[in-house]
Amino acid sequence: MKTALVSAVTMYALALVISMAVAVMIKGLYAVVRRLTGSK
Amino acid sequence: MHFHDILNVFQGITTLLDSPWSILVARLGLMLLGMVLVYLGKKGVLEPLLMIPMGLGMCAVNAGVLFLDPVTAAAVTEGPAAAGAAAAHGTLMMAPLVQKTDSLMYILQVDFLQPIYTFAFSNGLIACFVFMGIGVLLDVGFVLARPFLSMFLALCAEFGTVATFPIAVAMGLNYREAASIAMVGGADGPMVLFTSLTLAKDLFVPITVVAYLYLGLTYGGYPYLIRFLVPAKLRGLKMPPKPAVKITSDEKLTFAVVACTVLCLLFPSAAPLFLSLFVGVAVREAGLNYFVSFIDGPVLYGSTMFLGLLLGVLCEASTILNPKVLILLILGIVALLLSGIGGIIGGYLAYYFSGRKINPCIGIAGVSCVPSTAKVAQKEVSKVTGDAIILPEALGANISGVITTAILTGIYVTLIPLLT
Repeated sequence: MKTALVSAVTMYALALVISMAVAVMIKGLYAVVRRLTGSK
Repeated sequence: MHFHDILNVFQGITTLLDSPWSILVARLGLMLLGMVLVYLGKKGVLEPLLMIPMGLGMCAVNAGVLFLDPVTAAAVTEGPAAAGAAAAHGTLMMAPLVQKTDSLMYILQVDFLQPIYTFAFSNGLIACFVFMGIGVLLDVGFVLARPFLSMFLALCAEFGTVATFPIAVAMGLNYREAASIAMVGGADGPMVLFTSLTLAKDLFVPITVVAYLYLGLTYGGYPYLIRFLVPAKLRGLKMPPKPAVKITSDEKLTFAVVACTVLCLLFPSAAPLFLSLFVGVAVREAGLNYFVSFIDGPVLYGSTMFLGLLLGVLCEASTILNPKVLILLILGIVALLLSGIGGIIGGYLAYYFSGRKINPCIGIAGVSCVPSTAKVAQKEVSKVTGDAIILPEALGANISGVITTAILTGIYVTLIPLLT
């Protein structure tokens, strides 16, 4: 049970990090593509 | 003609009377449930595309049980085909629990749905086809316009997916089964099917059936949760209009390609799901209209129809009567409830951190039941303030919910085997 609880918290933290990394990636890609295509 | 001969003519009735009491009651109950599902599907209370074939399949499989000849019975039970062996109960639809290659090869030629089940359902292909169809329907522009808010709300709405895991372990399920039923919190049928096929093959039938039955209820149940947790004053909150951000198809396509590559690199076990989702997005954004019509027509609707039919046919009393089914029924509803609560808590956090500008109802849209939960959120807001529009933000959270559920699927199918 304790292992399950610790695993759940760890997996949620991992999901948080990856999701926020995806959000950062979106922002970064957005800026790069805007610059490359020269649109505002 | 003897009475025995009459019974042989009406084998369906004879097998019903020949069954143990528990199976007899379960078969009658499942036939009735099948009829109810068709009715609720037709009335629009549950998703008709899934519930009508599923309900009919459930009725037919539980009514159509017969005495199998010794060779077929031996293949189904995987026992020896001895002469004069007792005939076993079975159907000519499919045998989901057959494992041995020889038995499978025989059954493939007998049971009419077996080829579709074996070559498309039990390996997750149908889940990937449905996911491809979802990808074609998604406009990722809503996520690209507000990536942090959308991903944050979606992650909060995964609370049930994570919190149900230790609860399920405490209720006696092993880690693999616990993770599979916890995925119901992600409110995404193909993901539940994929996870349970990967982690808990023995329980994937009841888990998937429970998931699809409950997913149909989100549309009916979540409005009450919103009304219970968000006071009318906040439900009617108008969000200040933001200048529309024009997201080009080049930007959406770039996102799809890079996100797919990175997520497949992180979680190769869930790569089929990521590929299926993002190939749908890429085809749409690249403007491949012939592919779009093919995927959002024959592929999506064909897969949904066979998914519903196969789920119904899997609900045969002897397959579904597992002592763990009651636990799964409880955990499925707990997972969806916790995800809804998590989403609304996320909505409240967004409300406070944005200086009370964001309507907390959009949190429920983080539960990735596309587009049901986004529509539910908008409907509840419109009931209080007719001209309040939250749909763009809600759809962003909704689509992000699909991505976060896929991420959690990847985490589960990668890490859970290491725990066991």
